[in-house]
Amino acid sequence: MADSAREKMPIIAVDVTRPTRQGLSPLRALLIAIAAGVALLAASLAIIYQNSFVETAEPQPILVESTLGQLALWMVEQSTVENPEAILGQFAKQWAASLGQPTLDEATALNAVRTIMVIFCGLVALLAGLGTIGLLLKARWTRIALLAALIGLDILIFLIPWLEGDSTLGFLLVAIFLLLIALFFSPGKVSKFLGFMVVLSVLLMSWEVMKAFGTATHYQIILPQAGWTYKTYESVDQTLAAVKSGEIAAAIVDKNDVEDSIPPYPDGDVDPNTLPQPALRILENIDGETRFLGLSVRPDFPGRLVVVTRAEDAAKWHAIGELVGQPLGTLAGDFADQKFLAVPRNLVLLDLKITNDLNMPHLQTIAEALLQPARRQGPVLLLRILSAAALFTWSEAAIGFTSGAFLGFILGALFAHSRLMERGLLPYVVMSQTVPILAIAPIVVLWLGAGAGAVAVISAYLTFFPVTINTLRGLTSPEPTALELMRSYAASKWKVMWKLRFPAALPYIFTALKVSATSSVVGAIIGELPSGIRDGLGGAILNFNQYYTSDPAKLWGAIFIAALVGIAFFVVIGIIERAVLGGKIQGI
Amino acid sequence: MVSLHTRRVCRGTTCRAPTQYRRLFYISEILGQIMAAVKSAAPVIAVRDVNKIFNAGSEEQVIALQNINLDIYAGEFVSLIGPSGCGKSTLLRLIADLLQPSDGDLKVNDKTPHQARLSREYGMVFQAATLYDWRTVTQNVQLPLEIMGYPHHIRKHRAQEMLELVELGNFGKHYPWQLSGGMQQRVAIARALAFEPSLLLMDEPFGALDEFTRERMNMELLRIWDRTGITVVFVTHSIPEAVFLSNRVVVMSPRPGRITKMIDIDLPYPRAFETRQQPRFFELITDVREHLREAHGF
Repeated sequence: MADSAREKMPIIAVDVTRPTRQGLSPLRALLIAIAAGVALLAASLAIIYQNSFVETAEPQPILVESTLGQLALWMVEQSTVENPEAILGQFAKQWAASLGQPTLDEATALNAVRTIMVIFCGLVALLAGLGTIGLLLKARWTRIALLAALIGLDILIFLIPWLEGDSTLGFLLVAIFLLLIALFFSPGKVSKFLGFMVVLSVLLMSWEVMKAFGTATHYQIILPQAGWTYKTYESVDQTLAAVKSGEIAAAIVDKNDVEDSIPPYPDGDVDPNTLPQPALRILENIDGETRFLGLSVRPDFPGRLVVVTRAEDAAKWHAIGELVGQPLGTLAGDFADQKFLAVPRNLVLLDLKITNDLNMPHLQTIAEALLQPARRQGPVLLLRILSAAALFTWSEAAIGFTSGAFLGFILGALFAHSRLMERGLLPYVVMSQTVPILAIAPIVVLWLGAGAGAVAVISAYLTFFPVTINTLRGLTSPEPTALELMRSYAASKWKVMWKLRFPAALPYIFTALKVSATSSVVGAIIGELPSGIRDGLGGAILNFNQYYTSDPAKLWGAIFIAALVGIAFFVVIGIIERAVLGGKIQGI
Repeated sequence: MVSLHTRRVCRGTTCRAPTQYRRLFYISEILGQIMAAVKSAAPVIAVRDVNKIFNAGSEEQVIALQNINLDIYAGEFVSLIGPSGCGKSTLLRLIADLLQPSDGDLKVNDKTPHQARLSREYGMVFQAATLYDWRTVTQNVQLPLEIMGYPHHIRKHRAQEMLELVELGNFGKHYPWQLSGGMQQRVAIARALAFEPSLLLMDEPFGALDEFTRERMNMELLRIWDRTGITVVFVTHSIPEAVFLSNRVVVMSPRPGRITKMIDIDLPYPRAFETRQQPRFFELITDVREHLREAHGF
């Protein structure tokens, strides 16, 4: 029986072990569909840009309002200047000259941007397509292709404008989301870079998604009892136009939407008639406390809503102190859904988004701000100003870091050497770090005079502490037997230091240096504030902070650049660490 | 000083005594004669009435060693064995000048341990290999030579020689954490021998190794001892290990730490795996165990 069974075995075995054509598993089919979908989305983006500009018609806003479109228009502007300071301005001039034009033509510039965008989107589509093929073939390079496509989509977040009633950016976010799913399940190596890019993409995506949905705060506006009427409009512009035309007497709008463009009604003794007369005025903040104009808001969120009226009416309403009986229009911009529910006639419900353009500008707005001049028609781009500031701040931080690290090491070595020193001085070292740097900085500036020297000292002040602690820890880290071994060699203290304690401390010291590298940049930025140094990032942040309400993107840009400086410094120390310890210590 | 001719004390780089001739001498009949000659010479280590008391005068006073007398002669392999707390490691540390005796007299080559340490007579091996992670195997072996100021070419040559002695000639460029526990301990031995100390002090060097590796390392150690003729003081709590390796086993007992018995191990050298199967081997093990038990009182 057994023998015959064994004889039969091979025949069966052939059938079983032969590689059968495996059907597509549902997951893989889904992944392929996703990757193909992403490729299609990217391709349609390319088509959108292809159609965004025709010589005979107005260029589409998706092209003009895009980051590169705005940059191109600025270049056009710069080509009219005699001697443009910016490199791109000079380039624009040369370009115009090569075309035989006196100044760069707007159409030429926009057409070039269109070409760039079409090629870029096409490339992303190709990469996603390649990823689809990779998924079909189960190739090992699938992840690389998909990752490249992801990077392309991430860049597009910074390029494609958000336009009202346009869902291009939404499609882009969907594409990124789908691609992340595909990347998660696709075959291939998981590199450090891949992990970094995935998390970065998730962050970028959530930023825009939060903007899209935002958290809404529920508002109730209680209108005065007697005969108010109200209307709603689709946008701020329509609302304000209605006020201008006299269709309504006043509008309730989000303060952030109108603050730059509409001046407030002057306070106190100033005669409003002596001021320049704009078309509209902000009459009053609705703050829930005062019942001026008969309006109140629940829940309290002071200052978020304002009443806008025609300038000529403003004085009248202001004098009367109420708008009773007048038609009132509400709503605009960031009011997510204007709800006139079945509530008593005197109650208006509003939902106001928290994540509006003021506290969370679009990523594209930030990118655009970086690629636009700091002031209107300024000679150089904000990016260049900030880069110069970053370099300046970094050089201060580098001096502070070097001296701080040196001081930190010497203190640590001293403490490791002498118990008395450690017991006596360490409490003061710890205490020095509990005092807020913001309190110390002005004193240091007073002592040393406002200048880069004081900034470096403040930066060093933040730097030395981690180095001291970790040097102390590292120098005392060798096991007792390692020290006994040195003793059995009759090694001098100096030899023990350089052959044993110092090399053993190096990993600890580098860990501290990495921490210090980032905090030295923070120290330099904070040090610049009381020093009145305007050339660095601290000055830039202070400056843009003042204009935040009108142009939040600039401050965000400065914040990103400051973060980049810290990260770059961290990476530099990491590279040095690798060069010194790489391969010698396990895990580095 | 006839005794040590059989196992020449090697100095320098030309230690290549033909084993097959030496084997003729390793007959148990002439061992007694050899031992007598060894003992007639001045001891390398002379411990006289040594006491060691930790935290003397305080409430936590511990008598770690009481009235220790011990002579160890050139070329001997002496094991200190006993349960935890019997002071065997303390005694080794006293010899190595890592601790100072409370009273009594301790001489190493007629010098105080301190002088001996300064003249670099100790090679030490601990239970942990204590290799420096950031140095390659070769650099680790070179470490004592660097500290002692040997010129570069001698360091290089000696390190390679020592690594070949412990059969790690091809691992010079590796880092310690890339080696197994047994290999690390072999590097530690190579490092201890690199500067040719007159004494090799080993504190439970194979205690952390598994049984198979430990037995192989025992063979290795005997081979190295044979090649170099160095005097070894070996602390262990493994009875078979002590019996297999030593000329002499010093049995110690705790509270207070003292020497209860010295047992001469008359197994012939060279010892091999077969040695462990000889009846005499088992007799000696039983003997050591008896004395350990006696000292312990159970």
